[in-house]
Amino acid sequence: MTNDVLVQTLAAVLFTIGILVVLLRRDTIMVLMGIELLLNSANLSLVAFSKSAAMIEGQLQVFFVITIAAAESAIGLSILINLYRNFGSIKTQNASTLKG
Amino acid sequence: MSPVILILAVISVILAITMLFAKNPITSALCLLGVLLMTAGIYGLIGEHLIATIQLVVYAGAIMVLFIFSIMLLNLTTESEDHKKEPLLYVSAIALGGGVLTFIILALNEHFLKHPMDYSFGKFSPEVIAQLGGNSKVLSHALFSQFYVSFEVISLALLIAIVGAVVLAKRKFD
Repeated sequence: MTNDVLVQTLAAVLFTIGILVVLLRRDTIMVLMGIELLLNSANLSLVAFSKSAAMIEGQLQVFFVITIAAAESAIGLSILINLYRNFGSIKTQNASTLKG
Repeated sequence: MSPVILILAVISVILAITMLFAKNPITSALCLLGVLLMTAGIYGLIGEHLIATIQLVVYAGAIMVLFIFSIMLLNLTTESEDHKKEPLLYVSAIALGGGVLTFIILALNEHFLKHPMDYSFGKFSPEVIAQLGGNSKVLSHALFSQFYVSFEVISLALLIAIVGAVVLAKRKFD
């Protein structure tokens, strides 16, 4: 078992746990944290594959993904503050005014 | 296989599982911070120093501070949730997660074990990178020459995100 296999397996396990966090938790902030975990595991996989293929495009892609993740979390948390201001709670099932 | 990477991997999986089951959002945030730090350690150990530094500064520094700040601003305490009320959601989430994990493991098995080939076809082998002046120098050079359009566009996206976050957080919706 080489380093590549170990890191890729770790990325797969973290991705699965991230999916479970997004689907099972009820707080919007936990959903956002699960998305961060998903992005982090995808980054790990990209870096390890790019390293073992002796390329640098994967690392540059990860640089851009981290920047977009920062932008996404800033927007997501400001939406979350609005959600709390309007509904008094950040549970996902409370924000259901669009429901017909 | 490096034993240090194995230790970091085991710690990060334990922290991620704790994050999944923790009732308090601040516990989950600190566990996620731990996972990000372990990932930065793995990046450093496999020789990606620039990405490890960016992971520490941007992810573990800026983004997690934003999360913990939001949790403390909204004064979130222990959430009273019970998954047992919707067993359909619980079962389908477990099935989806298990399916994704099985798919990725099968793909990795296909890639690493069934067709083991020399796929190091790029030109940036560790020797070449050391000769060119190190990982950070090579990546920065590519970032400012080959990928400069993406770099400028990403800075524009960050500016839009800053303005959008301020507008969203300050505006009073009816």
